[in-house]
Amino acid sequence: MSDDVLLRATDVVKNFASRRKVNGIRTLNTAVAGVSLEVKRGETLGIVGESGCGKSTLARCLVQLLPVTSGSVEFNGVELTTLSRRKLRPHRRQMQLVFQDPYASLNPRRTVGDIVADPMRINKIGSDAEIASRVRQLFETVGLDPSSLRRYPHEFSGGQRQRIGIARSLSLNPSLVVADEPVSALDVSVQAQVLNLMTDLQDEFNLTYLFIAHDLGVVRHVSDRVGVMYLGEIVELGEAEALYETPLHPYTEALLSVVPELNDTDAPRRERIIISGDVPDPSDRPTGCSFHPRCPAATEICTSEKPAFVELRPGRFVACHHPRNTDSVASTN
Amino acid sequence: MRDLSVSFATRQGVVQAVDGLSFDVGAKEVLGIVGESGSGKSVAMYSMLGLVRDANVSISGSVRFEGREILGLSDTEMQSVRGGEIGMIFQDPMTALTPVYTVGWQIVEQLRAHNDMTKKQAYVRAAELLAEVGIPDPKSRVKHYPHEFSGGMRQRVVIAMALSCNPKLLIADEPTTALDVTTQAQILDLMGRLQATHGSSIVIITHDMGVIAEIAHRVVVMYAGRPAEIGPEVEVVRAARHPYTWGLLGAVPRADVKSRRLVTIPGNAVSPLDVPTGCAFAPRCQYRMEICDQRPALRGANDHVDACWLSDEQRLAIRSTATQRGAS
Repeated sequence: MSDDVLLRATDVVKNFASRRKVNGIRTLNTAVAGVSLEVKRGETLGIVGESGCGKSTLARCLVQLLPVTSGSVEFNGVELTTLSRRKLRPHRRQMQLVFQDPYASLNPRRTVGDIVADPMRINKIGSDAEIASRVRQLFETVGLDPSSLRRYPHEFSGGQRQRIGIARSLSLNPSLVVADEPVSALDVSVQAQVLNLMTDLQDEFNLTYLFIAHDLGVVRHVSDRVGVMYLGEIVELGEAEALYETPLHPYTEALLSVVPELNDTDAPRRERIIISGDVPDPSDRPTGCSFHPRCPAATEICTSEKPAFVELRPGRFVACHHPRNTDSVASTN
Repeated sequence: MRDLSVSFATRQGVVQAVDGLSFDVGAKEVLGIVGESGSGKSVAMYSMLGLVRDANVSISGSVRFEGREILGLSDTEMQSVRGGEIGMIFQDPMTALTPVYTVGWQIVEQLRAHNDMTKKQAYVRAAELLAEVGIPDPKSRVKHYPHEFSGGMRQRVVIAMALSCNPKLLIADEPTTALDVTTQAQILDLMGRLQATHGSSIVIITHDMGVIAEIAHRVVVMYAGRPAEIGPEVEVVRAARHPYTWGLLGAVPRADVKSRRLVTIPGNAVSPLDVPTGCAFAPRCQYRMEICDQRPALRGANDHVDACWLSDEQRLAIRSTATQRGAS
């Protein structure tokens, strides 16, 4: 593995038993259907997708909060999926999570100082005095007043709570921070504060982010590279700017075309491509390409043959039989 | 709507949820009300429709619907207006529908409450409405329960209900917030088309400036229960006047343009228990002046007004330095 890859996932699959039965046999909900990706040191990889596409499940599988059904996850060159819980611990320290709901992810019965100190106590890092000073320092880092250490989560606003969650995730000096919808519960003005904070912290501590969100604007803003998920698969992956400017997968193209735009310049807006229907049931996946029932470009082959996830341009992967905008990619490259 | 004020007496003191809100909605107009959580945008609409039932609430002002005062109507009088001439679309389609009855039953109930129809006629009409909002196989879908629909389909059912009595005004409270972006596009598209065919006016409440830009003709920006800025959509988005609107617009990460550092508004939204006597935004405003301790009135040219003490020259200077910084 090259040095600049921090996390590599290969063909990660996660099935859950579904409640639906066919001929008396429980079917499987395939939440993650064979995802391969690399997260490079120091970068932000954004994962974007609609609800139910498996992006959160993927995150949990990558940090081993959920056991994978099959596939491999290598972190710093070490295969994680086969390690015992005890052997996993030193690696876990290196990857921390920031959760979506700043209300549910902080224990309401512990002071915020304890919440931030707990990871260090659990991992027996430093003396009590060292931990206490580190907590104060972390509070200052994320823009909170260290004098509020003894307060409880309910005394803080949503944005402040998210800062506490971020402080906790940084307490063990992780190399990878997995942020699962960290700003979607916040109002726009507070969301902007937290996003700016995360950018600053990345520069300061040389962090690698795996940033999961459904908001296309947020993902473009934070990410160096972006993966687009649909029904448990990554359908397109590439540099953020290139992917947003010239989407190759019809799903990405449609998704981007319908984001409400501010329309604050005279530039013509993208033509809206409204895809009909809903996301299929993950226990009853379409044959061939999983997007074909809703795809405006689908042909015969899409219903029968699953498109391979290929590198169409350097660093640009797409799983589609009929990629879009290939002419313009050729001309801009 | 003229000078609507809504306040709640609480143990901690009086919460002024809406403070002097005035606006007009023209025929066939789409008015957007935008603001962050707690800005009073929903409470204003609910109290206008008599949906705020709280012993501690006091509502004052005037709301005229086609010239008729509807604030303070009796419950029975209000019931004929609500759901009849004024339709509502709520944020969460699952809570807006009763889980224990079929969607057909719910639409029929509303139809029969406002129209003289037999059950049979109403069921036929219900199926037509479902077809109109793009639900496939409407004749059998009327017999289904809300949980058998997806989120987007449920919102379509709610829209069908709201449209059932051909309302002249439709009030939509965050109609797409709970939906995914592709579904949101379907619903916004549907609302736009229905508005064109039915010719009804729409008041859409949202926190998303993008949604406003997509559908609204005019915008009311609310902060701490007060209107900060009111104007045509294009003008508010391209030539916003109020510092709060600047912050709101700059804070949105964009999917359509290359990213830059986000503009942040320092601090948190003011507590509704403790709204400053002067300009409500002053404590967070970087252009604060001495005069901001007094409450600014809405002023401006034509139909674009805002509540801020900055002079036109000052705004021009601020905006041009901001553009220069943005360009460099």
